[in-house]
Amino acid sequence: MTTQNDTRTPPRTFPDVCVRCATCMAACPVSRVTPHFPGPKQAGPGAQRFRSAAESSVDDWIELCTSCRLCDTVCPAGVPISELNLMAKAKYLDERGITFRDWLLVRGDLFGEMAARFSSYVNPLMKNPTVRWLLDKLLQIDRRRDLPCYEYPTFRQWFGARPAADNGNPKIAYFYGCFTNTNETDVGKAAVALLEAHGFSVDVPPQRCCGIPRLGVGDLRGAKEMGGRNLASLLPTVREGTDIVFSSTSCGLMLRHEYGPLLNLPGAEELARHLFDICEYLLHLREEGKTDVTFRPNPMKAAYFASCHLKSLNIGLPALELLRLVPGLDVRLVEAECCGLGGLYGFKKEKFAIAEEIGKDLAEAVARMAPEIVLSDCEGCRMQIRQLTKRTVLHPIQLLRDALL
Amino acid sequence: MRRYDLIVIGMGLAGLTAARTAVEMGAKILIVGRGMGSLTLFGNTIDLLGEITPGTDMEAGVMSWTATHPDHPYARTGWAGIAEALVAFREFFPPPYTFAPVGGGNSLVPTGAGTVRPTYLLPVTMTAGVGISSEDTLIVSFRGFKDFQGDTVSLHLRCRGVNLSLPRYGLEGVTALAFARLMDEEPFRESLGEAIRRQLAGERRIGLPAVLGLRNPAGVMATLEAVTGAKVFEIPMLPPSIPGARIFRRLREELIAKGATFLMGNPVIGATLKNGRCEGITVQNPPLKTVYSADCYVLATGRFLGGGLWADMERVSEPLFHIPVSQPATRGEWFRERFFQPEAHPIHRAGIVTDAALRPVDEGGKVVLENLWAAGSILAHHQAIEEKSREGIDIATGFLAAKRALAP
Repeated sequence: MTTQNDTRTPPRTFPDVCVRCATCMAACPVSRVTPHFPGPKQAGPGAQRFRSAAESSVDDWIELCTSCRLCDTVCPAGVPISELNLMAKAKYLDERGITFRDWLLVRGDLFGEMAARFSSYVNPLMKNPTVRWLLDKLLQIDRRRDLPCYEYPTFRQWFGARPAADNGNPKIAYFYGCFTNTNETDVGKAAVALLEAHGFSVDVPPQRCCGIPRLGVGDLRGAKEMGGRNLASLLPTVREGTDIVFSSTSCGLMLRHEYGPLLNLPGAEELARHLFDICEYLLHLREEGKTDVTFRPNPMKAAYFASCHLKSLNIGLPALELLRLVPGLDVRLVEAECCGLGGLYGFKKEKFAIAEEIGKDLAEAVARMAPEIVLSDCEGCRMQIRQLTKRTVLHPIQLLRDALL
Repeated sequence: MRRYDLIVIGMGLAGLTAARTAVEMGAKILIVGRGMGSLTLFGNTIDLLGEITPGTDMEAGVMSWTATHPDHPYARTGWAGIAEALVAFREFFPPPYTFAPVGGGNSLVPTGAGTVRPTYLLPVTMTAGVGISSEDTLIVSFRGFKDFQGDTVSLHLRCRGVNLSLPRYGLEGVTALAFARLMDEEPFRESLGEAIRRQLAGERRIGLPAVLGLRNPAGVMATLEAVTGAKVFEIPMLPPSIPGARIFRRLREELIAKGATFLMGNPVIGATLKNGRCEGITVQNPPLKTVYSADCYVLATGRFLGGGLWADMERVSEPLFHIPVSQPATRGEWFRERFFQPEAHPIHRAGIVTDAALRPVDEGGKVVLENLWAAGSILAHHQAIEEKSREGIDIATGFLAAKRALAP
């Protein structure tokens, strides 16, 4: 017999579910550092009571929400706070029109391949003070922000150039994400090595940007378009019985939990049921006794930071659990909430200071731990931690790959 | 499907205590909460039983209480159970940020409403607030910090009050979390302490809103005391409770470090029951539903606010396992005639009735599900708010539920 929880779930846009308990005010990283954002309670359900589709937006601080979604994870009443914020942000930006900067930034997937091809020219340019000054003045991309380097060949090109491994092993598909493809190809290589070590034959189906950068600037239509394209190319994979893993928790959150509930894309639930975080997947295998992969000792002090979007995936901390299997590795969780980067948010001139201030708490927590290495599943967190701590920052699967026997 | 020794449902103090007790016993556990639980709503001090006269012996007080309240959760744990659980709690907060009684038993602490209320264990940052007098205490509040109205507090406590400007914020509104974060910075609290020192007119104690930092509250207090030369204490105020957040963070840190699986942010939408046992629970993170299984389960979902109890127009029910709820016979008996009466409204005593081991039972006293235990405010026959027993019930029953669930 299965009992169903009788607690009714009211409509998602109904702000009166909020009982004003202020728990979210103990979690919001933005209102923790700036008085200019009133916090999730007021920005979400509070202001929602005064919003009307027929009237223009007045809440210009809505843009300061980073969409980290921590408020959603702590709310005891199940209010979809970040979604209320997102809708309000989308309306606000719709009324004002998207800026050229935002239009450009969310298309990183398009110019990324090109930038990677010409990385030997692009990378020095990105560090050139004059170029940065121009980007700062003309595009409002803060010149203090380290821009990620491009790598050539891209992950996809590297993968395509490998001899096809048709060894009869069970197939698994990999969603690598734009950043892995053009900026951190070693994360993709680590994923492939780790999956192959676990006895899989890896496939990389055609894929586009997951669309989460577009959501971040309130471009729901654009996000939906990206989602539609990915579903079209990924559904055939799951329909032939192949599971898909991702290594970026933000891409994963978008694919698994936003395509369906938020964007109402057909087939989203089917995809979600076969889509896993790579560490979650490997941990499951281990718990089901389906793998005997062991790791060689790596006596080292490591700090692991759990990204906000990993918290929203709500799968626990599978990477941390896998890292604990590496003999000698002293790995501890960084006790800090949110790195502050917020994806593209931290690149924007008007938001740089907020992103940095949020990240300061994390940087101090890392400094107190004095680790030899910092690990995080999210490329945004890795960028931010690199910039703030000047330490080596890797994806956990890179360390796990290196610890393979 | 993953198998655990114990799954705790609910992330308030009761659930977290049960989870911590279980990991201490070496169990593989999962804790799931639909949100952060109630520690940021309450959780400022550890109430045990406010009825007991300050300065008198707690053991004798609780014993005589349970003699006249045989159905109360404390009658299940007994004084020994309470004492053991409180020792475990106190050991979890080693110096400098400790919890202790002032004097032997209950003491009266000032609140953000300007009242004094009885409580048992106080964080070290609140102890100097016990026994304040009009002459010796200055209440300090801050412009732009709306959660603490110093005028009200000082008026009712009959102390002098001052309202200061914060060095780095205008009137735009600073939140409790932002304030606490600033306090964690040494230079900030030094300059704040200096501003307070200049306001002193012979007072020897200083009452501040409970925002003395998240990371090192005892250190924040020490700086302020060194700069001002007076004793400093925190006054509990409106949510979010920073002292509660400290307890939450400490417990979460410990649970994750000890290998517990920590799932926060999604509801448990169903349970699979078979042959009088719970076989699994379903957590919903749309569009996915995930089943988790364990040998035993602790239900610590709280009351109406936490979602542990559910009321329609006529009846109160337990929405997840559909286990019997003790409640007034008819809707007409839910409330007393007037809203503000000293006695609790009968509906506040509604909840789950258990056996001595905290397993839920039906009207006939028969165990409902063999591998389910209940803890915290969802239990019947207490009036946590009026009795001032919330944290004591959470800690004592959370501790006992885990011990009994994992007993060989």
